[in-house]
Amino acid sequence: MKDLMRQKLGINVDIMDLLNKQIGKEAHASSAYLAMASWCDQNALNGSAELLYEQAAEEREHEMKIFHYINDNGGTATSPEVKDIFHDYSSLEEVYETALEQEINVTKSIHAIVKKCRQVDDYRTEKFLQWFIDEQMEEEKKMRDILDLFELMGGSPLSTKFIDERVKDA
Amino acid sequence: MNILNESTYFTMRQCDLKRCFVFETAHKSVKLTFCQLLALRNKVNAINLCAHFNEEEHECGIEILLFKNREHVLILDTYQVIALKKFMEDTFSILECAPLAHLSI
Repeated sequence: MKDLMRQKLGINVDIMDLLNKQIGKEAHASSAYLAMASWCDQNALNGSAELLYEQAAEEREHEMKIFHYINDNGGTATSPEVKDIFHDYSSLEEVYETALEQEINVTKSIHAIVKKCRQVDDYRTEKFLQWFIDEQMEEEKKMRDILDLFELMGGSPLSTKFIDERVKDA
Repeated sequence: MNILNESTYFTMRQCDLKRCFVFETAHKSVKLTFCQLLALRNKVNAINLCAHFNEEEHECGIEILLFKNREHVLILDTYQVIALKKFMEDTFSILECAPLAHLSI
């Protein structure tokens, strides 16, 4: 009997499921960043709004990268449904705390897929995910650096405005 | 045509010559490409089994499953849904093990 599945599908089927879930997580992260950007825009925090719009676009790029990877390997990428996007924040600091938390969750999820790749000998996906591991380190660092500014300067309206003007360089 | 998996309600066959799969139930036999088989698996996995045990969410206890680009429909009761989920899981486990079978030969 021919190994038809291997001929048609270049990745492990369980890994494909996990990658599809990851697409959902990236899509959720993108929408969450959009909601954060919108809140910043409404509160005259233009520097943060700009940064968060860019983050939303980046998350969308990550989503598409995984989406194409699944389809390029003969799998079926599924378009995710995005629910439960939080729109209300009490401060800019809370926005970035939420952003960091979100990035940490995405990192954990990617690490879990890499772990599974090693269990099922899916070296190709493990290599593919290496880029995401590096990218997540950058993303976490960016949010952490901004939160460090709040620690340094406090959360008064004046320092919030000051931080907002500098987030792009953080 | 080789039988990949067989259960009370369903059978899955693999045709090496035509490089396709055949999904059989009591009343129908459907030829599937691998992509269509994957799509069917996704649909079966997406069925919320818990909802079958919650009258508010699922009053009738019947699942209507459209597959192969909506060419075919399956109407399943809760027992059959459980059986189909298990059947698809087992089928893919068998497919995953195919390379090992080659090695042992």
